Amino acid sequence: MAGIELKGISKSFEKNEVIKSLNLMIENGEFITIVGPSGCGKSTLLRIIAGLESQSNGDVIIDGREVNNIKASNRDLAMVFQSYALYPHLTVLQNLMVPLKLRRMSTLERFPIINWFFPNRRSKIDKLKESVLQASETLQIEHLLGRKPGQLSGGQQQRVAVGRAMVREPVAFLMDEPLSNLDAALRVHMRAEISELHRKLKTTFVYVTHDQAEALTMSDRMAVMMDGEILQLDTPSEIYNKPASLRVAEFIGSPKINVLPAESNEKGDIDCMGISMSLSIKDNKNEKILVGIRPEHTNLLQDNKKNCFLGEVNHKENLGSDIYLHVTLKDSQQKMIIRSNPDISFNTKIGEIIRIGFDNNKVMIFNESGQNLNKKS
Amino acid sequence: MSNTRSHIWFVSPAVLLMFLILILPVFVAGTFSFTDYNLGSPDFKWVGWKNYESLGKFSSYKKMFTASLTYVVIVVPVSVLLGLGSAMLISSLRFGGELYKTVFFLPVMATLLAMAYAWEFTLDPVIGVINKFLDDGCSVGWFYKLFTGSWLGFNPTESWYGELCNDRMPNWLGNKKYALGSISFIGIWQAFGFNMVLYLAGLTSVPRDLYAAAEMDGANSPWEKFKLVTWPMLGPTHVFVVTITSIRSFQVFDTVEALTRGGPSKSTYMMVYAMFEKGVKQNLVGMGSALTIVFLGFVLILTLTQVYFINRKVHYS
Repeated sequence: MAGIELKGISKSFEKNEVIKSLNLMIENGEFITIVGPSGCGKSTLLRIIAGLESQSNGDVIIDGREVNNIKASNRDLAMVFQSYALYPHLTVLQNLMVPLKLRRMSTLERFPIINWFFPNRRSKIDKLKESVLQASETLQIEHLLGRKPGQLSGGQQQRVAVGRAMVREPVAFLMDEPLSNLDAALRVHMRAEISELHRKLKTTFVYVTHDQAEALTMSDRMAVMMDGEILQLDTPSEIYNKPASLRVAEFIGSPKINVLPAESNEKGDIDCMGISMSLSIKDNKNEKILVGIRPEHTNLLQDNKKNCFLGEVNHKENLGSDIYLHVTLKDSQQKMIIRSNPDISFNTKIGEIIRIGFDNNKVMIFNESGQNLNKKS
Repeated sequence: MSNTRSHIWFVSPAVLLMFLILILPVFVAGTFSFTDYNLGSPDFKWVGWKNYESLGKFSSYKKMFTASLTYVVIVVPVSVLLGLGSAMLISSLRFGGELYKTVFFLPVMATLLAMAYAWEFTLDPVIGVINKFLDDGCSVGWFYKLFTGSWLGFNPTESWYGELCNDRMPNWLGNKKYALGSISFIGIWQAFGFNMVLYLAGLTSVPRDLYAAAEMDGANSPWEKFKLVTWPMLGPTHVFVVTITSIRSFQVFDTVEALTRGGPSKSTYMMVYAMFEKGVKQNLVGMGSALTIVFLGFVLILTLTQVYFINRKVHYS
């Protein structure tokens, strides 16, 4: 177990800078998720921690030890790949034995023919096998030990890949989108399983994903990464409720947050497209601002209230528990997505004009460059 | 479909052609191998297994099998390993790989017969550039020391090169001791570029992630990664390369015909050359056919071995 510290890491491929002077402190035993859209540099960052890629600048510090010049094989980290990267010619048992054999037996003990001359080789292998059996018990893959990866389903391969990372008890686990090749139902299931594994092992987990649901559900802390920078590092609920910027707010949350243009008057009161929001800000008075309202903080109003938007329904998505209505606002042609209770909106029709209310306390206010102004007030 | 016969008309041209030009000749050769037929003669006698018996009886045929098998045993492993080695070196290059690929592939593209004549000049005992070079090397101190092994403390005059310096340089193609080796060398020179290309294709299909996984698992050295990932992942390529190279080595003809004509004293008397000599040159069609059938048997065994391995061992899915 160990904490990982990144100090001023940057990485360029030729002239293309994919990671820009990034700092990150990962606590010992923490489950941290790095989440971001594809191409934001999150996988590269993970490979730099692993030692598979070298950084252009900066230091990687594992357990207080600077490891810049230490090879991946000697950093004592384990990695689970998106493709699982199991050795297809070896059985599951042999796959799980590989990291143990490579680390606990000398080159000569592994060399064909020469290894016959090591009398305690057998007992050594038996010992390794024991720890493999233990790991496979934890992951419930004992019945698969004799099979080859090609004969396993995606979920089973995924478990074996986790097992291979687990057997040798590394100081930290690195996971590179490990669930993205699984189908939706299995992904939800494995999410819970990996979280449980983390609770059991109490080892540092660094988990890279583009899926915000994975980031929100599994991690102790999550780092939102875009264009080679970490935009915000905090607990999932903080990031969801208090995004530091509009970019974070737009990336986290599904469906995407509604962003509407608004203005603040000289008193700091906010007026959004003709609707005064009974909200005010201290700074940024008399300015054009942006208002963010998550779809889940909107509702369909049945009676005529003062503070509401009027809009025409363009599209209706029924998810069973919720219905999402895609709406074009009446005067501004602004698009909005609202979540509504199926009991209320089950007979809402496309083309209908509806009244949209919102939860005043959950409204986020951003200035024009996208900074969150709620935090200041 | 079962009510009409039109499907028969659709497939019959292809089936007929296949039978006429692929299967029938084998049967004809098989039939001839039991006769003493000569091309042009009006009739022939059935001789039963006599042609096949003489394959086991006469020393020239025994030498033929020895020469063919020795050639295969030398050329296949060396050209396969050289092909793999050069493919791995080339694929690890950042630039310049294209140049090496082209250079190593040149012998494959060149007409072997023409190349054989070029080799004949190169290997000529008197005017050949190789012997000229070795001759001149005798009087260059460090070269002499290196090749006689005297730098390791051996007696220079007793070594292979030392003796040649005192006598004269070998007749590479005319000496029984060297002829098969020289022919094999040309065979390797010609074959390994092809194997290299096959291995290059095989290497591109090895998933990069596996190397990363091997590294994370603790594979420190290139040798460990080769053993854990490269070699097993090339399984299907190995089988294909070994089979193709074996069959092509059994088929060696151009160099033998151009350089040694099976000699000296039948030391390079390869199967296809024997087929040509018996069946065409000496017009002993029966004997030539028997050789052909035996040759086909060898190729068939190799192919079946390949099929076996492809189905069993090297497919990981």
